[in-house]
Amino acid sequence: MLKKIVFISLVIAALSALSGCAVNRASASITPDTDLKAMKTFYVVHREGDKHDTDQLIKDHLNKKGLAATTGPELPLPYPADAVVTYIDKWFWDITMYMLELTINIRNPSDNFPVAVGNSYHTSLTRLSPTEMVDEVMTNIYKQAK
Amino acid sequence: MKILFPSPLVHKLIAVSAVLLATALAGGCATPTTSQGMTPTAIQTAARHDKTVSLKVSGGQETEAIGKSQISNAAYAQALTDAINNSKIFSSVIQGNGGDYLLTVTIFNMDQLLFGLTFMVKMEAGWQLKRVSDGSMVWQESIKSENTATTGDAFAAVTRLRLATEGAARKNIEQGLSRISALKL
Repeated sequence: MLKKIVFISLVIAALSALSGCAVNRASASITPDTDLKAMKTFYVVHREGDKHDTDQLIKDHLNKKGLAATTGPELPLPYPADAVVTYIDKWFWDITMYMLELTINIRNPSDNFPVAVGNSYHTSLTRLSPTEMVDEVMTNIYKQAK
Repeated sequence: MKILFPSPLVHKLIAVSAVLLATALAGGCATPTTSQGMTPTAIQTAARHDKTVSLKVSGGQETEAIGKSQISNAAYAQALTDAINNSKIFSSVIQGNGGDYLLTVTIFNMDQLLFGLTFMVKMEAGWQLKRVSDGSMVWQESIKSENTATTGDAFAAVTRLRLATEGAARKNIEQGLSRISALKL
């Protein structure tokens, strides 16, 4: 009897844990009147505590698009660029560490007002590499540009 | 009557199973935030504007059953409408584009964090107010808010996260409308 209870409980718990294994979400939006294509120089703010160098991946993505980008710490306003990029990266462990969620904001360099945002969320079974996460988020943001 | 367990291992398995089962039962499906939960009850107003306003909300997301509580554009817009109507910061909210002003709110960041059993939600929304007659930007500001919910607010984790999220949205609306009430329109 006890063994049956243990077995049933473990099955229910395992099913519950497995139910969240394949969530995928990707979205992007841009404020009206924002001309992303007019922005040619970017300053990517290194998130304090980021040990995965996600800022470098964003910089590399922008460089590949032919845009000038530098990274560095948060600076007093205004930033010496056409736009500022900030991000929130969330990591999770499942056998290995992987990037669970990435949000990237593009901001006005004079007042830090966010003008565009993109977010991607992929759980373990459909995980993407950090480079692919950055590419997906940035591509979705630029798809919103007119 | 004395109950005998076969071995200490079974004892441990029962304990682990009970914890896992309790965790599973306390989980359940995520529920979307509600406009009622995001509507502030009172807003500090400096002035009321004798003008109408139209609203546009973007950046929200629908809640998936196996995901986390999210804020949908429709629910946030309804909470904003109710807050404006309750506080009378504008004379009325016009559906569509017929208002004297256009208020655009874009939800940019929502960070849902778990510390022990406490959920903390940090939110950032971009608020823009435009005068419709000449298309000029009257005001824009990035407004950040945060809210926490503990087991005292709700035992079930999904409910606790929803309450924390609704609170962050409610505080964001409070701050945004309070700032607008201080503008000279």
